[in-house]
Amino acid sequence: MGKRFSRGPDGAAASRKRQKVVHEAPTSEEIHASRQLQQLLSFSQDPVRARHGLQSFKLFLDDLLNPDSDHGDRPRILRDYLQSARPAGDDDENAKRQQELVARNLSADKGKAFIISPTLRMLKEAVSFDGGAIARPLFRARASMLKSLARNMGIVHIGDEAEDTKRPSARTNAILFFLSALKFLHPEAKKELLSQRDIVSALTRDVKQDPPYLVRELLEGLRSHVLLDGKLPREAKAGLLNTSTLTRVSALYQYRLDATAAEGPSIADSAHEFLLTACTNPTCGVLRQDSGFYPREIDPNAAIPAAELDDLGLEAIVWMNKFKTEVPVRNYTLSNFLPNLRPWSSVKQSELITSIFKVAPELVASYFLTNKSFTFEPKLSATWIGYAAFLFNTVTLPIPDYFCRATAFPELPPPTSIVIDNILPLPLNQKALSRSLANKSNMISFFATRILVVAIGKLDTAIKMHQDSSHSNKSAWAEAARRLADEFCQRSPGIKEMINSYRSIPEGDLLHREAASRLLRLCYEVLPQVALMAKFDVSPFLETALSRLSKQELDDPKDFALSLKELENLLAIAGYSPGMRWFAASEALSLSPFTLLLKVCVDAPHGVALEAIRRVLNFVAVEQQLVPADDKHPGLLALLEALQSLRQSSPDSVTPLWPFLDNCLTRCANAPVKYVEKMQEVIQEATGTAGQDLEGAVASPVAMAILEQLPFVAAKEEGQATLKALGRFLPNFLGLSATAGESRPLLSLIFSKMVPHLADSKGKLAKAGVPQGLEFELNPRPHTTETKPKKPNATTAGQEEAKSEPAMDAETLENTLHMPDGLEADNSALVKWATKTVDELVDEGYLTSLIALLVSEHASIRKEALVNILKTAAKIKQSEYEEKEQVWLLLSELAETARDNIHDGPLPSPIASFACHALNVLRDPLSSLYAKVNTFLTRGPVWTLDRLPLVDEVLSEEGPPVVAGGGADAAHYTQISWLLGYLLDGLRTPCDLELFHKKRARGPVLERVLALAANPYMRLPLRTQVLRLLYRATCVEGGSTTLTTRFGIVNWLDARQAGCCTDGGDGAGEAAVLGGLRRRVWETCDQERVRVWSKGALGEGVSSV
Amino acid sequence: MASSQKPDQEIAAEFTSYYLQRATTEFAEDLDKVRAADDFKNDALQMLVSALQQGTALFSPEEQRRIVTDAARPESKP
Repeated sequence: MGKRFSRGPDGAAASRKRQKVVHEAPTSEEIHASRQLQQLLSFSQDPVRARHGLQSFKLFLDDLLNPDSDHGDRPRILRDYLQSARPAGDDDENAKRQQELVARNLSADKGKAFIISPTLRMLKEAVSFDGGAIARPLFRARASMLKSLARNMGIVHIGDEAEDTKRPSARTNAILFFLSALKFLHPEAKKELLSQRDIVSALTRDVKQDPPYLVRELLEGLRSHVLLDGKLPREAKAGLLNTSTLTRVSALYQYRLDATAAEGPSIADSAHEFLLTACTNPTCGVLRQDSGFYPREIDPNAAIPAAELDDLGLEAIVWMNKFKTEVPVRNYTLSNFLPNLRPWSSVKQSELITSIFKVAPELVASYFLTNKSFTFEPKLSATWIGYAAFLFNTVTLPIPDYFCRATAFPELPPPTSIVIDNILPLPLNQKALSRSLANKSNMISFFATRILVVAIGKLDTAIKMHQDSSHSNKSAWAEAARRLADEFCQRSPGIKEMINSYRSIPEGDLLHREAASRLLRLCYEVLPQVALMAKFDVSPFLETALSRLSKQELDDPKDFALSLKELENLLAIAGYSPGMRWFAASEALSLSPFTLLLKVCVDAPHGVALEAIRRVLNFVAVEQQLVPADDKHPGLLALLEALQSLRQSSPDSVTPLWPFLDNCLTRCANAPVKYVEKMQEVIQEATGTAGQDLEGAVASPVAMAILEQLPFVAAKEEGQATLKALGRFLPNFLGLSATAGESRPLLSLIFSKMVPHLADSKGKLAKAGVPQGLEFELNPRPHTTETKPKKPNATTAGQEEAKSEPAMDAETLENTLHMPDGLEADNSALVKWATKTVDELVDEGYLTSLIALLVSEHASIRKEALVNILKTAAKIKQSEYEEKEQVWLLLSELAETARDNIHDGPLPSPIASFACHALNVLRDPLSSLYAKVNTFLTRGPVWTLDRLPLVDEVLSEEGPPVVAGGGADAAHYTQISWLLGYLLDGLRTPCDLELFHKKRARGPVLERVLALAANPYMRLPLRTQVLRLLYRATCVEGGSTTLTTRFGIVNWLDARQAGCCTDGGDGAGEAAVLGGLRRRVWETCDQERVRVWSKGALGEGVSSV
Repeated sequence: MASSQKPDQEIAAEFTSYYLQRATTEFAEDLDKVRAADDFKNDALQMLVSALQQGTALFSPEEQRRIVTDAARPESKP
């Protein structure tokens, strides 16, 4: 190929360069007549002449606009000119010619922007002329006016430098014309304009390259004249706001041409505002009303025959399991748009998605199902943190009202998979969360912990919504709630992992520790069965937190308050877990946890709120009988106040007191009765010698313990310092006790016995006695005046008071105490087990479902179940299952026991229930019941049907030694908990109830259970379990009558209610439960019979509760 | 006491600032590592701050008030 010859020495350069046009200032002339004006403006090929004419006209107009000049003839000249220039007779022909001209200009060759742009500018002026006066006729000529508009929108500025605002591109002019048209056209016309797909598409295709001012005008114009135009129908808006428009606008989040110093919001901010409005405002045409957690296409109110629901449970609802891989949605535009956003890299995009989720909750599950590529695998990177933040925001979103944004719950519960996808979205699976919790980076585990905290809170809300009393299909909703909890446990890390994560947090990371302890506390509150299974011993954590707080290393009071939050969480956990050892000092600690807690209270920086901790101290003090269990007694307050005021007046004196006080408190807690008796001795002594009548006088047992220990102080190290401190402390303490309502004469007597042991050489203390009129200055105190010694007839008054207390209504009572039937028949169990592995049989409940069928009403089912149990036993025996021998033995003995007894009726429920619960024990060789169950099994091949297995073994075991040591007490309460669970499942029919009240060597089982609840060391969860058993008994035919006439249940409930301490929230709540239960007993018993039995004593009083 | 109470917004702002200050102290080492990561650019800093402070949502307004103000307020007398 030959080289191209250049045309001359500088030909190449000359040909590429555009010829420079030199503009000289145009000439002009003054205008005196319309005729002259007409000549000047007539078309001319000669540019000099043309410019001369235009310049003259411009100066003429300038002068006309100048208000100061004398216009003379000018207005008339202009009017005459316009008259003459007007097209002759407005004929159509003329108009058509002009339209054709415009159309031709608009569709000129792409390169002729110098023709297209001015035409577009002229059209823009025309459409906005006089407030849109001629917009309507212009639109009628749309065939010409909008000619090639879409194409012209595509003629963009080309070049490296930014578009010059003085020389806008054809695209810019086209957009500005379009926006003016939107502004001035009437809604019908706008609707048609927006239905032109090519125009709408061209409008945003190149928006990323547009100059900033144009982007702003575009967004603002579309916002005011489309999005927020109330007269424009939704469909018209939807025409504009399709997925691709939204996606292109979202590209502006990465807009690069923004001037850095520009005032006002950035383009990204404007785009964000635009998208927020477009996607979340239902009038904008994008957002459609969905039905929350119920996907499109399903009918949440479908009528399903009750029998079918009873038989099959949730399986009767065909769509219940249908949405695990795909969720059909109504908001398809949004659903297609969302995957284009990058929530992990931008706060705004994350905010946009969550705002959309909030108004269209149906999208949450579907979003994560269709965007599986992004995982939550922990990695210390900005992207992971961004994703974690996005997920946190998603989990924090509220659950839609009634799950469906309606005004009442539908008949059927929402698909469980969708609810759980909203609580723990798919990327938050067990593996990823566990690895995050265990990650060596503390920040990663912190983020995971926080997500779990909000998730479990949301789970709580969802479960409560499932348990709402207004549901008509209660059993289906209850089953769905159980499934939900199960699903949650499968996605969430186990509690052991949470505990380990908590354990690994450095001591000083207060924020992290608070979050981790909050998570554990929530587990106990929301999923108690799971939490209690972990056998978590909270004591070491509590001790660490206490010692950190008591060492006072936290300078910032805010840090102290935050640390207190952690302590509160731990205290709450201690309240839920059985067998917290309050009065056992570990090796690491010099004081018991209780005294440490007291010390934290006393040493707390001035003003820190200690209400929750005071409540715990009081609760424990009452429970351990350190102080009288009287509603009006302010509990430990006198001790606390005396210590606090001592700390203020003489800070050094408090330190030597702690070991002494700890000793006294521990002794008193371990043997409270001893000190009550000692007090009686003092009272009697006073009556005998001084003739004082102190019968019924009240003082705290702890004061007696102090008196007893005083003589030993002097012998100890630092004894003198302690005695000196006690000399300051004791008068104050006793004085405050008197102010708080204890008996002053008795306290004076005790003080006089104390004085000889105190350092009181000058007799000052003895002379002053117990000071009078001391005020509580540091602690708010319930108003009490010093009481006179009470006469013993106070009991009747107490009863009346108890009866007027509020009782829980029937519905709340049912929610609190009703437990689903653990032996509910599921006939499908007969076939389901066959395909399962032995592990699944034992661990996933297939075996227990089979056992439960032995209590079926139908003989054929029972027999079938028996055969299948024998088959499973054989299968297990041949397997590699670790505990196969014991499980086989259990099943064989059960079968042997059942064989001859199921022809005429069901197996007694307690027997079946025992088998089910024993099976769970055998699965876990570490269980404290393991030995007991095995001993029972080896005792003989057949069980006695009219005895409840293992009841004696568990109940007759000595209670834990009060001086708590090791885990013995915890094990004891675990066994009680197991026993109550098995008894509860075993009480279903009147025949079962007979077994519960049958006379036995050590008394009827029910009587022994009632006695159990009187154990002051037993915690609320176990006490509630006893009440559940009673509630179950009232559900059995004749149960309430038996409870009343055989067990005096009304008096028992009265006594329990009177014993509830009402200072804290828990006590009042329990009292209400007891009251509600009493009413239920009365309402469900044979009232005539009970009236006769009680000789009329029961009736009015109970029913008036 | 009511008259000296700060408005909720002020409390929330104070608490957020305390929360952030605590978080940056506790996770200083990790934060340095994130800042050195390849993908730390553009909006990442804003993202990081927003991610850290969203944890304030775990604390109810009362809890926030307690932590921020109780320490500075003399306890009221009965």
